[in-house]
Amino acid sequence: MSDKGIDRRSFLKGAAASAAAIGTHLAANSALAQTEKPSAESKDSGRPSERVIGRPGSDFMVDVIKATGIEYIASNPGSSFRSLQESIVNYGGNKKPEFLTCMHEESSVAMAHGYAKAAGKPMGMIAHGTVGLQHAAMAVYNAWCDRVPVVMFAGNFLDADKRRPGVEWYHSVQDPAALLRDFTKWDDQPVSLQHFAESVMRAYKIATTVPMGPVLITADGDLAEEAVHDEKKLRIPKLTRSIPPQGDSGAVAEAAKLLVAAEQPVIIADRACRSQEGMKRLVGLAEALNAPVVDIGGRMNFPTTHYLCRSEDRRQLIGQADVVLLLEVADPWGQFNTISDPHHEYRRFAKPDVKTIHVCLGDTLTKSNYQDMQRFMSVDLPIAGDAQATLPALAEAVKSAGGIARRVSLTDRTTKLRDDYRQMKERARTAASQGWNASPCSTARMSATLYNTIKSEKWCVAVSGVQWNRNLWPATEYFNFLGGSGGSGVGYSAPAAVGAALANRDKGIVTVSIEGDGDLMYAPGVLWTAAHHKIPLLMVVHNNRAYHQEVMHLQKMAALHNRRMDTAAIGTTIEKPNIDFAKLAQSLGVHGEGPITDPAAIAPALTRALAAVKRGEPAVVDVVSQGR
Amino acid sequence: MKIEIVLSRFFSILVFGASALLAQEKPPAGSAERGYEAYMKYQCYTCHGTVGHGADRGTGPKLAPNPSPYAAFALQVRTPRLDMPAYRKPFLSDQELADIYAYLSSIKPSPPAKDIPLLDF
Ligand code: HEC
Repeated sequence: MSDKGIDRRSFLKGAAASAAAIGTHLAANSALAQTEKPSAESKDSGRPSERVIGRPGSDFMVDVIKATGIEYIASNPGSSFRSLQESIVNYGGNKKPEFLTCMHEESSVAMAHGYAKAAGKPMGMIAHGTVGLQHAAMAVYNAWCDRVPVVMFAGNFLDADKRRPGVEWYHSVQDPAALLRDFTKWDDQPVSLQHFAESVMRAYKIATTVPMGPVLITADGDLAEEAVHDEKKLRIPKLTRSIPPQGDSGAVAEAAKLLVAAEQPVIIADRACRSQEGMKRLVGLAEALNAPVVDIGGRMNFPTTHYLCRSEDRRQLIGQADVVLLLEVADPWGQFNTISDPHHEYRRFAKPDVKTIHVCLGDTLTKSNYQDMQRFMSVDLPIAGDAQATLPALAEAVKSAGGIARRVSLTDRTTKLRDDYRQMKERARTAASQGWNASPCSTARMSATLYNTIKSEKWCVAVSGVQWNRNLWPATEYFNFLGGSGGSGVGYSAPAAVGAALANRDKGIVTVSIEGDGDLMYAPGVLWTAAHHKIPLLMVVHNNRAYHQEVMHLQKMAALHNRRMDTAAIGTTIEKPNIDFAKLAQSLGVHGEGPITDPAAIAPALTRALAAVKRGEPAVVDVVSQGR
Repeated sequence: MKIEIVLSRFFSILVFGASALLAQEKPPAGSAERGYEAYMKYQCYTCHGTVGHGADRGTGPKLAPNPSPYAAFALQVRTPRLDMPAYRKPFLSDQELADIYAYLSSIKPSPPAKDIPLLDF
């Protein structure tokens, strides 16, 4: 459209009409004219700019999104959803949902991923149905593997007759969701606004029904840009959520019998808990059985301060176990067996006759192509049910199985269990002390110093590339640890931490992350997003100047192929030049510290960074670190 | 290949079993400075840390202070027990191995955990 074509008067009129609508939540029955002339008195000059659309379809789409309660929409702006973006901002008042400016669609989805785990509800995201979803794909896969809801919208122009030549054709697709269908729970491409309303509600409900996962709704560009027809007929269905299913009561009783009779029972929890209440339930069960718990950490499942929390002793515990209860464990086989690398020797570390029980909904959410289902294991008692929902019944059944004598004998284990716990903690501290004064800084010192900086705050580790936090830090709250990426797709950590920090911002929880240098370089623009939206996050860069895992893979390959052992750095290290993450952060408007090579300098840098975070800003502390 | 593994295992058990005896044998002469260079060049540090302190997530055990007796050390580096990559003679000379050993032997212990206030969890 040329400048000449813009009729200033009608433009202003149109703007006034939209301004009047700002903040009118659920304006579905608004009396705004649907396709109107700018004003009755203006003479029709026949110019296209005379035509304004006072109530575009995208306004109704915003009404629908508002009705879901989605508070944020993460997005890199794109023309295929320009109408929806404008409606979010001008019609919706850019509040609930608020448009978050992202610099990569992968960041948008990963932010939504981290946010959902911290907020306990999904965030929205919008992208081009073509190039945007292509960028987003890996992050969607992570969310899928991690069973985390993300409500995605895609812009598209389905009607070829209306597309402008050139880019709009490149940015149109028959079936936008095809690219993601292997790792999304559900998708739809609505062709009417009523269809849109129903599909968004369905999508939200499906995304948040356990096992949760990402969903995609196409918001057709023409549907969004054209006027709402027949407003009165439009209805936004009420959002209702499914109650998670409890495991069958007979099976639960059977499981309780096995567990109570066991001499060496072990509980393994992965994506088991969704809330503090879930943790409380798991503590209740573990105490009723006096059974050690291995928290694999897909979610925060068990307080690390509890004497039954024995995550680091997993191998030894499984080696001795006669009954193992698995709770929503993504890789059951891998808890009992392993395959060595690179020689592919099979090793089993569990007893051959160990009895297994798995409370899990994994089989109810499967697709065939991507292999996130992990290796098959014959479970003795597989219970299709939600772990958190099943725990109370299981704990009750345990309490009533076995007589008084058995209950007394279960408590006899306590002294030894407490002692084993103390020894495990002592081993962790001793291991952490090794290389304490080394430069590059040891990851244990980095972790311990971080804890010391934030220990008087309510804290959340949104992501971490090191294990020490779990082994060392006293963590009792569900919000303390958010778990990993799901699919191990690199590029997750930084945006997920920003998303989690956004969710934690209003709860007064200080969010920290231990961020890989390689991960951060995928899309460092998310730091700008954090600065722009004033999202306080304390990010420590675990800067080992390498895709460290890959260095080790190359060493293994060179040895396997009987070749020279001094070339593994080629293609795997991030040196020459070294990246200065403090400067990178500063250039994006973020408080930056480092590079820190002297371990004694970590603490003062973290203190300054925390002060920035307490002012509501993000901060990056670049610690030049050991490999792991 | 299976046989090789079995033999090397058997041999390693023998050698580890005899480690008390071997401990008394003097390691070959080496230079700690050159050893540090070799330790970095061959990237032992990626799995064991730059001061042989071991790494997070079971990547590699601690090697120093007080490395195991030289024969056991050499056997492990040449024909590792489990997942560690093998460093064979054509790609890591006996002298370099002796130098690495000298480097590991020169490493001073870290302060004990109880003396580190930050580890008072
Ligand atoms: C890719 C990781 C990796 C690299 C690189 C590596 N190691 Fe290891 N190392 C291990 C692992 C894992 C073990 C445990 C035993 C095994 O897997 O064989 C180990 C064990 C050892 C042990 C035995 C320690 C003990 O207490 O039993 C020694 C000695 C050792 N490594 C020395 C070295 C030296 C010297 C180098 C470099 C020349 C090196 N390693 C490079 C992973 C590695």
